[in-house]
Amino acid sequence: MTESHAVEMTAESVWGGGVSPFGVSWRKLMMWIFIITDGLLFAGLLAGYGFLRLASPRWPDQAEVFYIPFIAFMTFVLITSSATMGTAVGAARHGDRRWIVRGLALTILGGLTFLGCQAYEWTHLIHEGARLYTNPWGVPHFTACFFVLTGFHGSHVLSGVIILTVTLIRTLLGKATPEGVEIAGLYWHFVDLVWVFIFTLFYLL
Amino acid sequence: MAEKEHAHGGYRLYWVTWLWLLILTIFMIGFEVLHLPRLFLVLALVVFMLTKAAFIAGNFMHLRFERLNLIVMVVVGLLITGAVLFVLIYPDGLRVLQLSKAS
Repeated sequence: MTESHAVEMTAESVWGGGVSPFGVSWRKLMMWIFIITDGLLFAGLLAGYGFLRLASPRWPDQAEVFYIPFIAFMTFVLITSSATMGTAVGAARHGDRRWIVRGLALTILGGLTFLGCQAYEWTHLIHEGARLYTNPWGVPHFTACFFVLTGFHGSHVLSGVIILTVTLIRTLLGKATPEGVEIAGLYWHFVDLVWVFIFTLFYLL
Repeated sequence: MAEKEHAHGGYRLYWVTWLWLLILTIFMIGFEVLHLPRLFLVLALVVFMLTKAAFIAGNFMHLRFERLNLIVMVVVGLLITGAVLFVLIYPDGLRVLQLSKAS
């Protein structure tokens, strides 16, 4: 058998059905596919923001509009919640129920803290006169981008908190599987991943 | 007991990753506060942003421990499509800016 024939046979056996070419269960694969499509949604939103920003003759200085240390604190909360989520996933793999519960509870607490901070930030800006298409800084697109980007992300954080709460209840009832915790974790880490891009591209640059 | 110790040793990856993310975030904010030259700032922040994304996807989401087929599907799918979106949309933004300045 030639080498090329062997490679062809191996590829055929992997993609020919009967085995998973990705080496993961269908539930986990579906979550990855969802993450890709949802990631593209955010890529589209960020590309739209980039277009509006480039097309605007001027753009407000973010440091004058936002209190950057507060946004940094929100980032800290989210990355810490990702670490606690990772701890829960690790515990689920090792069957350590006590740490699954602790990890999930701390992650939910982190998510709620982030949402509280975001609600405060929105309220503060709205009190300053920020609306979807008008604001005191003279660039209408600025607040449109802000509300759409952070609003979509915030809705994902809220969804994540709900998913994690359900996972926590299922763990307490003894119904959660290690894979279920891992899939919930994938979603939560994705929410953190998206924030890395929003924090850099919208708040810092 | 040994199994429990192993389990807790397994958490180390997540907290080391957390520490790196924290350090990178502090650097990013430090660069922002220092008012560095714009081009340098943009390049540095984008590099830090992509490094943080790689840490989260690789370690938190365990992508680097998955099979190559899955890694390629996720990374190439997102990066290529994202890059195409930006490359197609950004030049139009500059054209609109030039048109609005000319009128």
